[in-house]
Formats: sequence, structure tokens, C-alpha cells
Amino acid sequence: MSSLVRPLFRRPLLSLARMAAWAGRRGAATILAVLVGGSVLPDWAPSARADEAPAGPSRGAGVSDETAATFQKRNGAVFQGWPKPKAVLVFTGELDGYIEPCGCTGKENQKGGLSRRRNFLGALAAAEWPVVALDLGDQVNRFGRQTEIKFGSIVDGLKAMQYAAVGFGPKDLRLPAEEVVAAVSAVGDTPTPFVCANVGLIGFDSGITPLHRVVEAGGLKIGITAVLGDAELAEIRNDLIATKPAAEALVEPAAALARAGCDHQVLLAFATPEETKKLAARYPQFDFVVTAGGAEEPPAQPEKLPPHRAAGNPPVDRHLLELGHKGMFAVVIGLFDDAAQPIRSQRVPLDARWGEAEGMIRLLAGYQAQLETLGLTGLGLTPSRHPTGRRFAGSATCAECHKSSFEVWTNSGHANALTTLETQTPRRDGDPECLSCHVVGWAPQKFQPYEGGFMGVKATPHLAQQGCENCHGPAAAHASAERGQVRVPAADRERLRAELHLALDTPQAKQRVMNNCLECHDLDNSPQFDFDTYWPQVEHGEEPGAAAAAAAALE
Amino acid sequence: MDVRAPGSWSVVAVAVAVGGLVGVGNPLLRASTRPWRLGEFDPAGLQMQEGVAVPKVDAPSTQYAFGTMAEGAEETHKFVISNAGDAPLKITRGATSCSCTVSDFEAVEGGETDGEKLLPPGGRAELRLKWRGKTGGAFRQQATVFTNDPRRPEIVFVVEGFVVPVWKAEPKSIVLTSIPSQGGVKASSRIFTYGKEPPTVKEVSTPDSETSQFVSFTTAPLSAEEIAGERGATGGVLVDVEILAGVPIGPLRKTILIDLLLPEIVRAEVTIEGTVAGDLALAGQGWDSSRQVLQLGTISGRTGTNTQVFITAKGAHRDAVHPVVRDVVPASMQVAVGEGKPVGSGAVMRFPLTITIPAGSAPCNHLGSSQAPAGRIVLDTGHPDSPTMTIPVSVAVGP
Repeated sequence: MSSLVRPLFRRPLLSLARMAAWAGRRGAATILAVLVGGSVLPDWAPSARADEAPAGPSRGAGVSDETAATFQKRNGAVFQGWPKPKAVLVFTGELDGYIEPCGCTGKENQKGGLSRRRNFLGALAAAEWPVVALDLGDQVNRFGRQTEIKFGSIVDGLKAMQYAAVGFGPKDLRLPAEEVVAAVSAVGDTPTPFVCANVGLIGFDSGITPLHRVVEAGGLKIGITAVLGDAELAEIRNDLIATKPAAEALVEPAAALARAGCDHQVLLAFATPEETKKLAARYPQFDFVVTAGGAEEPPAQPEKLPPHRAAGNPPVDRHLLELGHKGMFAVVIGLFDDAAQPIRSQRVPLDARWGEAEGMIRLLAGYQAQLETLGLTGLGLTPSRHPTGRRFAGSATCAECHKSSFEVWTNSGHANALTTLETQTPRRDGDPECLSCHVVGWAPQKFQPYEGGFMGVKATPHLAQQGCENCHGPAAAHASAERGQVRVPAADRERLRAELHLALDTPQAKQRVMNNCLECHDLDNSPQFDFDTYWPQVEHGEEPGAAAAAAAALE
Repeated sequence: MDVRAPGSWSVVAVAVAVGGLVGVGNPLLRASTRPWRLGEFDPAGLQMQEGVAVPKVDAPSTQYAFGTMAEGAEETHKFVISNAGDAPLKITRGATSCSCTVSDFEAVEGGETDGEKLLPPGGRAELRLKWRGKTGGAFRQQATVFTNDPRRPEIVFVVEGFVVPVWKAEPKSIVLTSIPSQGGVKASSRIFTYGKEPPTVKEVSTPDSETSQFVSFTTAPLSAEEIAGERGATGGVLVDVEILAGVPIGPLRKTILIDLLLPEIVRAEVTIEGTVAGDLALAGQGWDSSRQVLQLGTISGRTGTNTQVFITAKGAHRDAVHPVVRDVVPASMQVAVGEGKPVGSGAVMRFPLTITIPAGSAPCNHLGSSQAPAGRIVLDTGHPDSPTMTIPVSVAVGP
């Protein structure tokens, strides 16, 4: 305690009496001094520090308090106790084609999507955190014209988000090389964000993608390279793409990064965790090593790798990062000027707290517009034969006899399945990945029409919505027989009826029915689906003999 | 009493000290009257007062590995939460990750069963995490529990494991990116099974008769080494496919159905996807394959532009290909063909095409409309079946 204030506290009661008398004479000066003291002394209370210190990013621009609080509570708060970092490395990857989360059960119940990712990066930038955004690869997970268009749209999104480096995944490189090159190439003076040490698009010397890259953020120099694992390379059967084994290909970029004097070095390894660890052991200079092939959700904290012990230098901590699947999370590494805690990590759920980014919504609308323009035929969707070999009749035909069941269906969500796609912004009714569960006559998990299935509202209006035949099977032959359009023996008529009948009376029969439901009510689109809960909402059946009587009236 | 006014320095010091107390006090008061909000909590900064009763959550285990699970099987694990403090502990069930079923708290030592529970000192509750293995592969699911223990306001319980399916094709879809129309491309898929008995192939079929015109296929048992390399697998079948000559140019999607006796009959399925392409192709920034046009856009005539694309040649005649520029529209566009080089294993030759609109070029419009037809680059290729290659170019030169 200072010698100036000590005498007052020796006799506190006396001091108060003295001050009361004294204050009358020097009141104005006292008030001024009190105010000054109150303002210049530091604010010691811990909670006050939280109020006054710049808050870590916790929500996207324009997101309400209520939404932010809801999703903080649901999926956890982020960046708690983080001071401002010198820079952050933001890792994403394995988007697997989930350019946006499925809205089937409420988009707010799903994580991921480029729009939220854009807003999340925007929130980091708004907090003035220097960001280095890095993506492991595998933007898509399928093959065909729609996937090519989606890949191009996603890459446009990554470029707009100013990714510093993006690796390739094996599914990216299964696309025609012409499409990959068109999407990833440099545009004018803007270099491609793609980096890969062991893949050369149209040869390693084509100059389309570099082997490594060095970027600067917050005064730190970050070196980055990327590879595909040997098993992943084996998946690529594309003569226009040159490849090398990962361990061999890393020699050159590792040497270049070592020479570049980087503060941190990142290896994006699209490989199994086992192969990634081997690469990390062989190239210990990389202090952040990202792997593919982990579980759907990344762990809360990255795994520690053995530290790098270079001669004459203190050991350097190293980490193995898993990113999860479907772009549901970003993993953020904070780099701090703090000897006690130089690195912090945060798994960030990309949920509704980050809101939607207008630019990415426009990009999604452009993607949907391309699908609409090309149409199902332009997208190369060739109908395949239904496993039964039969054709579809449409739900209205079923209604001619199965009136009671049709009424239940009419009042169910199934009857509005296509309408929900038509009324979204942007519309999704040109998107085969959505259509496959919203119309009659498609293979839901293959995103492909069956012969005689829905091919557009104009061509096949009777097959719009999620109709009867998706569960019961194609009914055109049955309907023709019942109407008398085709004369069939009674036994065949009964067989056709029986083929469409679904029973729940044995565990095996119930399992067959449930398996059919799961074709659409899968983990992605209906995560809470439980047959026993959902079935009562669509439970239907006819009074014995009612359908047969109605059929007799048709003839 | 003799009262004397303090000296001037003392007055200033007291005033500053009082002001400081006010400065500290205000936020302290705010902090004590405002509820805690997530994102602000700083356990490190918290000092417990001696003698004040507080709850203390004790969750000795927060992570559990189910190991290997069969597809469709269900596993449950009980996590225990107890109150080691001396005030009631309130625990609230928070979010679960996608599709993990979490029980309400079970009343182990009295109390109600719901999403919230008050544990007396020494009390104990259980939280059950249930996972049904719907699809094969690794999984990690979690459930969050919020507490009123200021030192541990949130606990995340995690279950993880690996689901093995009845069968799995690796790859499930054989993707052959660029198939020559002459066919001859071979590939394979390995079907792994996980039951007690190794599989027997009962029948191999295709959904339509067309598939067998363009694809041949054979099956054979997988080697013991290959089976051992797949986690949990007990048997397997190798499916070899070959694309035959005459397959039409365009997208290809065919399915092979393999009925396996395990001993019950299970139908496995392998899809073959790809694109059958011609021998000559173009690749590079601006190539729009949907419209089959090279998009250069609107170029400033003052600065001009320069870009590079590649012509690729494959197939039996690739070595005969030597592109030569025959015609260019607009005339101001300069096109230079570079030296051919093999790509990768040499199955493809590539030729760089450098396209330049020189600075000072005259304005023109070849964006591709009825009023402004697209420009073009016409090349003599040397390929015996496709001697000429015409590349439509969408370009306009402004002032």
C-alpha cells in the first residue's frame, strides 16, 4: 500500500469524521477526483472484463440473441475465454456434396452448408481475427452431370470465401478432368486456391495447381501442402490426372516449406488416419496434420502427435486434426503470442447461430437454376428398370378404389412433398437429389428415375408428390386388371393385388416396410425417424371388401 | 475533539481510492445481479468462498467405446453423474448430436425422471446413450449435460464405435471417369461380408439385357489376405468388370446384382458409372462443357488478354494427333499450339493452346447469339477419325 494512503486507514472511523468536515470545504475538488479515480483505475471484476473486452465470435451477422442462445445451448458455446489470437487456422473438409443442409425436417435442425460457413468466417473477420481458411477436399460424393455442376458451384463458393488452400479428395478427382480443371483453374491474376503435392491435373507440369503454398496472416508465415493417401489414389481412374505416392511426393514441397522459414506448417492429408500418422512421422516438420476417414463428428480436441524435436530447438507440439463429415463442423486452431498457451482449438458446429450469407444464397440459387435449365434429361438421368419390372399408375388411380387410404394420404405430408420443393427459395424441384424422395417412381438413394417414373410436372403430373406406389410398388398392371382394361385370370388378379399389399404382422414383414421408409427417412433427411412414432400419422387401410367392390364398379 | 483536515495529498489519494472502489463495484454489482450466460463463463477466474455450500459434479467417465457393432444392432451405455458437493446439483439434459438417443435421467436414488434433475449432496443419476447402427462405418455421438456446478457447467458424454454391415462393396460404385468408345477398360469391386459363414454366389444378374452388351463381369472368392485387411469382414467376393467395345458415347450407368447365400439370400449390388468420351477433348479455365463453348467473356481492347487451355488426345491414335490451327474467329484472336507431352502413364497426350487477344484489338462481338454468332477456333488434328476439331468461343472485345 502506498505511503500516501496508509495514514488514513490507521484510524478509519476518525478519518471518516474528518473527511465529512473537510468535504464541505473542498467538495467540488473531491467529486472530480473520485470521478477521475473511478475512470483511470483498472476494471478488476472478472465479469466486467468479459463485458469490456472484445467478445470472441459467437454468432453470424444479423442473428438474433434468441437464435444465438438457442444454438449455443443446443450445440455448445464457442471460443470461451479466448483472447484475440495472432491468427486462426480454420479447417473444413469432406463436404461430401452437402452444399446446404437438407431442409426436410427443418434446416435449423441440421448443421453445415456453405452459407453458414461463409457467415462464420465473416464473424471471425468482423472480430478482426486474421483467418487462414483451409479445406481438406472431397467437395462432392457422387458422379454425373449434377455432381460436376455442384463441384463447380462449391469451388466458386470456396474462392469467394478466400480459402488460402484447398486439397483434393478422391471423389473430386473421379469427375472428368475437364470439369475439374475448368472449376479450379486460376482466373486472371487470382491464383487457384487448390494445392496438391501428389496430383497433377493434365500432368504435374501443366501449372494448374501448385505443390505447396505459403501464406501470411497476423504476422505469421503458414506453409501448406496437401496429398491424397495411396488407397485414395487407387480410387482415381482418370488418365488425365497424374499421381505419385504421397510419401514420395512430399519430399519436394516439404523441402521448399522448410526453406521458407514458416512459423507453422500444415499437411492436408486426404488419407486414412493410419496412413496420415505414418506421413506425419516421416515428415515431422508439419505441426498441424489433417486426416480424412474419421467419424462423422470430429473429436472435441485434436489428437496430439509426438512432438517434433529438432536438434538445437525446443520440442514443437504437433496435432492430428479430424474434421468430421458433410461439412457440419469447422475446426479452428488459434495461434497466440502466449508461451503458456500458444495454441487453442475449437470445434465449431456450423448451425443456425451463424445465419445465412446472401452471397452464398445467390450461389445456391445459381446452382439450382443450372439444374433447372439442363432438366432431367440434360443431367444425363437415364431411367432404369424398376426391380419388379412394373410401371407406375399414379396416386389418383389408386384413389379410384382405395378411397379411405387416399384420404389419409391426402392429409399427410407425403401429399405435399413436391409442393414443398416448389415453394422453397430457391426452388428445389429441379434438383434430382431432392426430387428422388418427393415424387413417384424414383430410386431414392440413387437419385435416379425408374422407367415410367416422374420426369417433370408437365410430362408426368400424375406422379407428382410422394405417392402410394413408392411404398406399395408400381401399380399400373394392377390398375389395368381391376379396370378391365386388360383381361387377366382371377388368380393373376389376386397375385397383382397381393404383390402390392404391405403387412406389418410379422417382425420380418415389418422390417421390410421399415427398410423402405428408411430409403427416404434416412439419417441425413429424417434423423429422428422412428417407425412406431411416424406410422400412426399415415396409418391406413380399407374396410374388408371395400376396394374390391369399388373395383367391380369400375369394370 | 480536535478535528484537523487532512493534507492535500491525502485528499487526492482517498478520492482516487474511493473512485477506484466505485469503478470496481459497479461491474461487480452488475455481475452479481445478472444471470450467467454461456460464452462468458471463466472457471479460471472464479474463486470459491470458503464456508459457502456449492454443488460439485462428479462424472468419472465421459467417453465410451462400443467397439464393433452389427448393422441394425443397438447398444446402450450408462454414464453416471453424482454430486460430490454440499449443495444441490441441478443437471439439465442439453443437445444430442444427430440421431443419438439419450435417456432422461433415471431416478437411481429417488426423484423424478425427466430432462432435468436436482441431485442432493451425495446423490447420483444415470444417463443412458443409445445408438442403433443404421449404416456401416465409424461413428461418434455425443450428449451434453448442463449443471449448476460453476466449475463444470457443461459435460459432454461421448459414445463411439464402428458399425459393420451385412455386406459392403468396396467401391460400391465403380467410377470410370473417361471410357474410350473402344472399351477395354477393366475394374473390380470387392464385396465383403461379415456373418458367421463365408458367402456363396447364387446368381449374378443385371436389371436389363442391355448391360451385358456393354459390360462383362465375373466373380471369384476374395483371398484370405484381402478379407483380413477389412475390419470385421469374414468373407468376400471379387467382382471383375470390363467395358466392352461399342459402348455408346455419353453417360454410362449400369448395375450388377449379386445374390449371396449367407446362408440366407442377400442381394448385393455394384454400380458402374462413367462417361464414354471421344478421343479428343478440351480442358481449361472457361471451358463450359454443358454448352460446349469456351467462355472468354468480354475483353478490354485496351489491355487484351491471354489464357491457356489444353487439347487432350487418347486412344490408339493419340500419337498421330498434331493439332494445327486452320481458322480463327475473330481474326484478332491469336492461337498457338504448344508441344505435345504425355500425361501420367502416357495413355493421354496433351497439347497446350495459348489464346491471345492482343492489346489494341478492334472491338467485336462474338458472344454467341443470333445477332452475334460465337467465334471459333478450327484445328486440323491429325486424328484419322476426327481430322477437324472446332472449338466455339464466346468472346467480345470492347474498346
